[in-house]
Amino acid sequence: MTSIGELRLHMEPKTLVDENRHQNQPRRVRRIVLSINGDSHSIEVDARSTLAEVLRENLRMTGTKLGCNRSECGTCTLIMDGRTVFSCTILAVEAEGKCIETIEGLASGSDLNPLQKAFIKNDALQCGYCIPAMLMAATALLRVKMEPTEDDVRQGIAGVYCRCGAYPNIVRAVLDVSRGQVDC
Amino acid sequence: MTEAKLLVQGIPPEPLDRPFTVIGHSISRIDGVEKVSGTAEYAGDIQLPNMLCAKILRCPHAHARILKIDTSKAEALPGVKAVISRNNFPDWLTYWYLIPQFAFPEIVSYVGQEVAAVAAVDIDTAERALKLIEVDYQELPAVFDPEEALKPTSQKVTPLDVPDSTCPRAPAAWPVGNLYEGKTDIHTRGDIAKGFQDADVVIEEVYNTSYQFHATLQTRSSVIDWDGENMTVHDSCQGVWQVSQDIAKSLGLPMEKVRVVVKYQGGGFGSKAGAQRYLHYASRLAMMAGRPVRIELTRPEEFISHPHRHATKTYLKMGVKRDGTLTAMEGRSILNLGVGSTYGNQKEKLIETAFELYECPNVKLEQVAVYTNTPLTGYMRSVMRAIGDFFLEAHMDRLAVEIGMDPLDLRMKNYAVFGDQVKKLPYSAKNLDKCMKISTDAIDWKHRDRFVEDNKNGPIKRGIGMASYMYDGVGMAPFKASADVVIKRNGTVEVLAGVVDIGGGQATMMAMLAAEELGVNVNSVKTVWGDTGPTQFAPGTHASRMTAEMGPAVVQAAANARKKLFELTAQRLSAEPIELRSALGKIQVSRDQQRSMSFEEACQLIPDGEEIRASGSRKPNPKDIVFHTFGSQACEVEVNTDTGAVRVLRVASAHELGKVLNPKLVDSQHYGGIIMGIGYTLLEDPEFDSKTGIMLNPDLHQYRIPTSLEVPEILPFNIEAPDPFFAYSAKAVGEAPIVPVAPSVRNAIYHAAGIWINSLPITPDAVLKALGKSK
Repeated sequence: MTSIGELRLHMEPKTLVDENRHQNQPRRVRRIVLSINGDSHSIEVDARSTLAEVLRENLRMTGTKLGCNRSECGTCTLIMDGRTVFSCTILAVEAEGKCIETIEGLASGSDLNPLQKAFIKNDALQCGYCIPAMLMAATALLRVKMEPTEDDVRQGIAGVYCRCGAYPNIVRAVLDVSRGQVDC
Repeated sequence: MTEAKLLVQGIPPEPLDRPFTVIGHSISRIDGVEKVSGTAEYAGDIQLPNMLCAKILRCPHAHARILKIDTSKAEALPGVKAVISRNNFPDWLTYWYLIPQFAFPEIVSYVGQEVAAVAAVDIDTAERALKLIEVDYQELPAVFDPEEALKPTSQKVTPLDVPDSTCPRAPAAWPVGNLYEGKTDIHTRGDIAKGFQDADVVIEEVYNTSYQFHATLQTRSSVIDWDGENMTVHDSCQGVWQVSQDIAKSLGLPMEKVRVVVKYQGGGFGSKAGAQRYLHYASRLAMMAGRPVRIELTRPEEFISHPHRHATKTYLKMGVKRDGTLTAMEGRSILNLGVGSTYGNQKEKLIETAFELYECPNVKLEQVAVYTNTPLTGYMRSVMRAIGDFFLEAHMDRLAVEIGMDPLDLRMKNYAVFGDQVKKLPYSAKNLDKCMKISTDAIDWKHRDRFVEDNKNGPIKRGIGMASYMYDGVGMAPFKASADVVIKRNGTVEVLAGVVDIGGGQATMMAMLAAEELGVNVNSVKTVWGDTGPTQFAPGTHASRMTAEMGPAVVQAAANARKKLFELTAQRLSAEPIELRSALGKIQVSRDQQRSMSFEEACQLIPDGEEIRASGSRKPNPKDIVFHTFGSQACEVEVNTDTGAVRVLRVASAHELGKVLNPKLVDSQHYGGIIMGIGYTLLEDPEFDSKTGIMLNPDLHQYRIPTSLEVPEILPFNIEAPDPFFAYSAKAVGEAPIVPVAPSVRNAIYHAAGIWINSLPITPDAVLKALGKSK
């Protein structure tokens, strides 16, 4: 009997790594306008590029991170038209005309917003790699649930992995903000 | 005043004779703002002019001979700037934490091994080039199971590791058959046969543990900049100095020409100690192309190509008297090393916990490490201790139940006082009894049968379990740990520490140590970290060693700097330097506190254009004392006997660490270790195809790590006890809290549902099988 491994071998004979890109599609350059954190950006992009790629590589807004590039880990989470999305599996051309919010838009200049301050105060971060995504997920949650329960917060951030295990402090930070308990 | 015992080179500084002003406070980490604002720059965020992208071609077979590689079509592809394979580098040795490994051997030994690498103008071109490389493989039979690999008839694995007796992590000799160095490691004391004769009850079991993958959220990423003479590696590793050492050796460059910089990195957990294989290929490509190269591994590559926690199987037999006295212990643990490992300095670590944790006069434990055609293994958060604690602490509960004794009482009955039970060597500190009491009290262990009535009805059963542990992680060889402290004329202080902050808050702790010793506020201290350029050689941030090893070096450097500053200040205050004390930015004469000046004023006395610079260096641990940390966890779980699902509801975690430098940073380590431990215990289930050796779930959907939904209530307790060998007594915490999670959860599952499960992970399927509800 053929094993799953043999099937895989047949399907991915060369590199055994995910070729997540869209190589069968020809490269096609398009000019698009993206609205990010209230600013308009008119840019030329490869039509195959994801929103995360365009943010990171074309616009050099590297606060949005990538961890898997296929909607597994949530590290690339940002807000589009009020909802959290995985920016690694949305094409940049699809995001045209949408209202995009990223980590870079949370602070006003050097003034951190209450959620950011609460993350620092509660030590809701370790290596920090998932934190932009966590902050965006929490931001979106607090807009629809002003007074979330602990369970709401856990559900609200469940799409983002934190391998360092900062979850208890992240939940605490979000609850602190919802209760107006940030004084830093 | 206590005696000056700090483990430093030269004369140790006198302990501070005043209350702490910085240490013990929950100070927010110094890099928090960058991390919450998205400005913290990780290696993959770096874009340099003219930068190329690198990709690696990996072998699809578990064991094969490379007959021929044709890279000509790839080289001819426009945009391809460099291609490497065994065609141009047949004898190249790379170094992984100084372990020599073959870069491009003729025999490839696991699915995912590197066969060629390409640098091209963009990632599309690099991927297209990989497809144009033609490799003729002659497939060979492969062996995946270590017990199979031990048989004389087994297929011989060609390991990647090359023996090197100068490197403690490398094998000292080639394997015999597939046995590491051709020998096993055995710990014995007493008379085993007599011990089992003395026992009233003898229990034998087999324990299995699975691989565990680090699953760091940032995949391995680096940007390598080569200017024709000097290399700068922007890396995501855990040890800048270790990577500099490895890359320099691999490329034949002097170390001072390889600068490694890691200010931020997205998780390590042991997997990024030393230069990883991918980095050698990318660095070589940068040199060949004469342009900067960026490499970022994909998530599946991350699973198949980097070292992970070993899978093991342990046969364990223990004898006990009716009164709970342990009489004998005999065990044999078999580890799957894969094709290469940092195993050299861990040859005793798997069995050491069982050997030491309890008083038992007759012991024989054997550790057997075997090469197979599976991926590399290496360090991971208490790599060996988490496994060694699982089988010991699981077995202890089984013995307790068999003789009708409370598992906590059985552990107290056999409490070990000495680090070496034959030589009777003392521990520098041990308060495990206190840890056991605090953790079990916190979840009301005394009334642990409170669930019995409720458990009779319905599918949900609750139970409580516990486990104790020990952890080393302090002051291990090879040894070199130095730091500098600089005081500037404008009153600012810099700590220069060649350490990587992997998320534990290492940079913050270095600043706190220097601030305390100098007597200044922590915000006037800046840490320069994660860069070989301005710092001295430091250990990598792994094995929970940073506070324990760099701590004394930083304290000594700060004490030396303070001494120089006091020499400048004394005359102005009409006192002797020895009479001066400093705290919270103020320098005072101890016998007349009216005579004082601010730290800033004192710094003004530094001659114009000069600065005060002082160094400190850690010395190795003395041999006549055993240094460990200890702890205990107790947990409450819920088992659904219809679905097999296990939920951990509460964990009380008591860890003895000497001194808490920063409570909130320490608590974060309890959380992190316990949550990763829950993944190891219940969720993380890598699957390999038994025919081909291909990993079937190299992704984060099917290899499940804990989300916010799996997190229990965690109650951290930190047990402090003086240990003057360390910086203000502070020892290790980073890894230890993962250690007892698996056995305590497993023991609680028995308490809840009456089933013993001896294999990790404990999936719903395993629970249903144990309940006789599934085949």
